[in-house]
Amino acid sequence: MLDRRCRSRRSLPPLCPASREMSQKSERRGIHVDQSELLCKKGCGYYGNAAWQGLCSKCWREEYQRARQKQIQEDWVLAEKLQREEEAAYASSQGVQQPQPSLAPFSKFEEKKTNEKTRKVTTVKKFFSPSSRTAPKKAPSERVEKVSGVRERHGETLLRDLRGMFAQPWEMVAPTEESHEGKTPSPSISRQSSIETDRVSRDFVDFLKNLQKPGREIHKQCRAFIESMANKKDLGADEQSECVQDFYQNMSDRLMTHFKGSSERVERVMDQVEKYIMTRLYKNVFCPETTDDEKKDLATQNRIRALHWVTIQMLCVPVDEEIPEVSDNVVKAITDVIEMDSKRVPRDKLACITRCSKHIFNAIKITKKEPASADDFLPTLIYIVLKANPPRLQSNIQYITRFCNPSRLMTGEDGYYFTNLCCAVAFIEKLDAQSLNLSPEDFERYMSGQASPRRQEPQAWPQAGPSSSPGLSQVYQSLDLLAGLGARQERVLEGARTLESDLISWQESVEREVQEILEKYPLEIRRPASAIDSDNVENDRLPPPLQPQVFAG
Amino acid sequence: MSSHRVDAKVVMLGKESVGKTSLVERFVHHRFLVGPYQNTIGAAFVAKPVQVGDKVVTLGIWDTAGSERYEAMSRIYYRGAKAAIVCYDLTDSSSFLRVRFWVKELQNCEEHCKIYLCGTKNDLVEADRSVRQVDYHDVQDFADEIKAQLFETSSKTGANVDKLFQKVAVDFNSTAFQVLTEEKGVDLGQKKDAYFYSCCHH
Repeated sequence: MLDRRCRSRRSLPPLCPASREMSQKSERRGIHVDQSELLCKKGCGYYGNAAWQGLCSKCWREEYQRARQKQIQEDWVLAEKLQREEEAAYASSQGVQQPQPSLAPFSKFEEKKTNEKTRKVTTVKKFFSPSSRTAPKKAPSERVEKVSGVRERHGETLLRDLRGMFAQPWEMVAPTEESHEGKTPSPSISRQSSIETDRVSRDFVDFLKNLQKPGREIHKQCRAFIESMANKKDLGADEQSECVQDFYQNMSDRLMTHFKGSSERVERVMDQVEKYIMTRLYKNVFCPETTDDEKKDLATQNRIRALHWVTIQMLCVPVDEEIPEVSDNVVKAITDVIEMDSKRVPRDKLACITRCSKHIFNAIKITKKEPASADDFLPTLIYIVLKANPPRLQSNIQYITRFCNPSRLMTGEDGYYFTNLCCAVAFIEKLDAQSLNLSPEDFERYMSGQASPRRQEPQAWPQAGPSSSPGLSQVYQSLDLLAGLGARQERVLEGARTLESDLISWQESVEREVQEILEKYPLEIRRPASAIDSDNVENDRLPPPLQPQVFAG
Repeated sequence: MSSHRVDAKVVMLGKESVGKTSLVERFVHHRFLVGPYQNTIGAAFVAKPVQVGDKVVTLGIWDTAGSERYEAMSRIYYRGAKAAIVCYDLTDSSSFLRVRFWVKELQNCEEHCKIYLCGTKNDLVEADRSVRQVDYHDVQDFADEIKAQLFETSSKTGANVDKLFQKVAVDFNSTAFQVLTEEKGVDLGQKKDAYFYSCCHH
């Protein structure tokens, strides 16, 4: 193909040394092209080609090879750098601040790099396959031996390592792209990560340190998972939940085999994994925009606000807040359930609910002097939720349901209290007159704010105003009633008076009218023009009147 | 708190004051409580290990609010339950009417949940036969029909209480055992694989 192209070009000298004969031929024909322009730019004496940037085939091949080699080299360097950074971040958190010497032979970097890439896109399950475990090997223990003494001298590396750690939450927000270039995030971005996130990361790494090799593996997989989740931001909440639950499942299965079935140890590690992962994912998966969690939050909040009038008696709550110890527990329970919103890890949120529940049990126990059963507990929890109106209640419940370790949620004590909280919320949503033993009319009046049941027992709601005194409000009501009655009586009297005057004037006007009419048309009694019997002139002309006749028959 | 692992979730269902709490109290602490006592904080949730053969099954027992006003929420309670103990008062026929409601609910929503019927306050019946309002054979027929177990217990004397919970634990163990062994087998294989892999690559 090469040669053919040369020939077609007005029989110019061939460009490659390989076809020397032809080049000589064309020289002889003496075509007017400056020879120097056609020669290889390398100055090797052969002709070059524009397609090869003015080089001859041999020089081009060399040049091309070199450039490619250089690029490969650069790729390797980049891969190495990335690898080192990750190692360093891990090492620093393990208490060793040495920049990591390359652990594997150079040839392995390509493989590592591709590993790194695939890791970002493949599913979690992949990470559990043994191949991804080959890279780190016995690195951590080696490192510890080598460099444990040089900690202080490496302030700079420490700084970088810390930056590496701080970069994690940011990576979560804007994934992979920049980390490929090995840049550290800008300070303004890294500042976004809260102190809590960093503390959790450090705790997590500290915890994993004790686990040696599996610890390293767990750390890697968690990070990979967080990165993969960052790419799934657009997924619905249910899919995200599924991803996290899958990850929990796979991780605990793996740990189960590793710890040879010791479920306590597995659970301990899983707690840490949950803490680490959910602290990082929190921002993206709590009350996501893809759901209507926020709307539900507002609805519940307004609902609870509208139910401010519900009393202890209506709910049959066996708690007497007159006793200082009881009201103390009630206040603590309220604080705990409100505090739930400030936690990030599902387990911590659950712990708040559990603490709240324990305070409720205490309050009931002190009041009733016997342990509380569910029949006592649930109403009290409802009452506490109504009084606390915890922020973002629905979001929190949804978040826990989606992202908590299911074994804890389904069976354990935490799960029991959480279920009760769900029941309480469901009850509050559906609450009607019947569920408070009220008549529908009363319920409506309380809901619309026209009346308040508080006057029956002002103690239950100490924040209620002075109107809550029953006697006083009754006096006010009576006064209002009296004032109303007086006004109505006045109106009746006035009406009567106007009616009277109306009647009088009406009578007068009628009389006047009658008088006027009488005057206008005076009564004249004229004699009739002719009487029937007198002056009847032509009487004689009339036939005689008919006489009754008697017929004999 | 979360320290004790729970294997099976067991819900207690039944009308208010049929004695769910006493039943649990008797089973867990082997006592029947009259009057004030201070030792336990609450009897709404308890985790109790039960010996089954050479194994220990930890039952997480969930007390539920039996009042009718919470009936609509009862579904939330028994979600994922392995067993449900539906209680009724032997001396109160109305309490048995509610049993039918719960059984129906359970059959509709939690088909994997085993049902145990439990007539409580048997000591009262034994002391005076005339107070019995729910006939044993009627309930036994009903239990057969819904494939449930029937126990008549007394939390006061402790009669039948341990038997009931033991049965719950044994049943759970036998159903869970098959699943567990299957899983175990697969797990072991996976572990072996993983081990070999890492060796070869080394």
